[in-house]
Amino acid sequence: MELTINGQTHQVDIEPDTPLLWVLRDELGMTGTKYGCGLAQCGACTVLVHGQATRSCVTPVETVAGAKIMTIEAIETDPVGQKVVEAWVAQQVPQCGYCQSGQVMAATALLKQSARPTDEEIAGAMVNLCRCGTYNAIAAAVREAAQA
Amino acid sequence: MKKLAAFVVLAVLAVGAGYWFATRIPASPFDSVGSATAPLPVERGEYAARLADCVACHSTEGGKAFTGGLAMGTPLGTIFSTNITPDRETGIGGYTLAQFDNAVRRGVAPDGRRLYPAMPHPSYAKMSDDDVRALYDYFLHHVPAVRQENRPTTIAWPLNMRWPLAFWNLAFADAGSYRPAPAHDEIWNRGAYLVQGPGHCGSCHTPRGLALQEVALDERDPRFLSGALLDGWYAPSLRNDHNTGLGRWSEEDVATFLKDGRNQHGVVFGSMMEAFNNSTQFMTDGDLAAIARYLKSLPGDAARDGAPWSYQAAAAPAPAGPMASGARIYAARCGFCHGSDGRGRNEWISPLAGASSVLALENASVINITLNGSGRVVAAGVPDAYRMPALRDQLSDGEIADVLTFIRGSWGNRAASVTAEEVRTLRELTNAASSDPIVLQMR
Repeated sequence: MELTINGQTHQVDIEPDTPLLWVLRDELGMTGTKYGCGLAQCGACTVLVHGQATRSCVTPVETVAGAKIMTIEAIETDPVGQKVVEAWVAQQVPQCGYCQSGQVMAATALLKQSARPTDEEIAGAMVNLCRCGTYNAIAAAVREAAQA
Repeated sequence: MKKLAAFVVLAVLAVGAGYWFATRIPASPFDSVGSATAPLPVERGEYAARLADCVACHSTEGGKAFTGGLAMGTPLGTIFSTNITPDRETGIGGYTLAQFDNAVRRGVAPDGRRLYPAMPHPSYAKMSDDDVRALYDYFLHHVPAVRQENRPTTIAWPLNMRWPLAFWNLAFADAGSYRPAPAHDEIWNRGAYLVQGPGHCGSCHTPRGLALQEVALDERDPRFLSGALLDGWYAPSLRNDHNTGLGRWSEEDVATFLKDGRNQHGVVFGSMMEAFNNSTQFMTDGDLAAIARYLKSLPGDAARDGAPWSYQAAAAPAPAGPMASGARIYAARCGFCHGSDGRGRNEWISPLAGASSVLALENASVINITLNGSGRVVAAGVPDAYRMPALRDQLSDGEIADVLTFIRGSWGNRAASVTAEEVRTLRELTNAASSDPIVLQMR
């Protein structure tokens, strides 16, 4: 099976229903994408598939063969992603950091769809969980990235 | 005076005849067969028990197989399935083959007591002598005996008298095992036998009448397998209804669904998840192909089914109202798995666009699975990797109503909107801690 991740193609030989997250982390060693709940609930495993936020823990790898996948490792190569990362640094968002790669991916996907999101849109799209409670900083960083 | 005497005599005779009828032991083809037959290979009877899915009701979660004890609600009170292990005192170890046959195919216990039709004997009546003999052999010789007393029903006297059930049987149960239809080939007839007989698909998928009888037991009636509501789930039509039945499924799709628990149209959930885990996945490819052939021969009903569904890309939702709010909730909660296009992910995650359970008039299944998630699908010993999570603690009644209204009204789906009231009702009924939880109904 051929996967296109961050512009590179990878050949993987794996069961078709393996979650994309395990292919990224265990097969390809890209551990920036985190495992949180395994149920599409927390968002720690978020990656972009064709620019859309996708929970890689519930994505059978077979269904993204041939799709354009982007992970946190390459987010700064994306113009929107770069703005998000800069705003994240400026706002000093992360505390423990575990959920943050997923948060950045979700924010990037949001700004790709809606360049100037309202506060309501931000609240509606940024549903990733953060045990440290950095939600205010996340919202501020998304607003800053939208202004940039 | 003479008239009165004649009347009394006639009345006594009628009561006597009725009593005799309601408690008599029916004839079985095995009456002259002793129980001391040589055991058959375990596979033969085990397969028959898989076909009939005995374990589904005659076990409890975490309990020993076939020891019974599963509670089932009836309008009169709760009844409990019985111990069918070969324990001689609490199980069926003392049954002769003829007594076993009478219980399975005629709903009559050895003492003449009539079984509640929670035991699907109107369906099992169609089982062949060979399958009944194999079942008997399996339960008597291959299932370990477990001593576990049966629980008494909570139905109070006089409603707990069993003899009136003999008249229920007279009205609603056909006698005699399945007779092949000469107009159809062997595969179709095998499928009809499995669906109507041991598979007892109609127990869930055929609507029930006022006396809780299945309104039809075979394909001669268009209501057979036309879909029914039970236990807070809607068992959809298994007829060729384009939208709400198997109309868009090929025979191969049907067989794959029963073998793997999933295909590109959907994944087993609710009560069907149990039927899959315990029964259909163990059927041979030949038997599954036969079931598919038979089901695909049942015509749909376009009047009931509505205009044929076809996929349409979602229109931009209105800026306000349930569709707009539903679209937002969908994007945040559902789209990650089911896709923003509603098409799911191959056979791994169900599409919502065009799914029969989404398009069904009855919305119980979509509400129930959103509140409570899906159970564990175990195919060939391996638990599923992708499972619908329960959202009851994350979404309010109104939010679930909105998102389901969006799902039932997008991508070409044209099913009625869902109200918060409907969600509230099912939330209460499926909450085991509430005062009024659903008890498994007769099936």
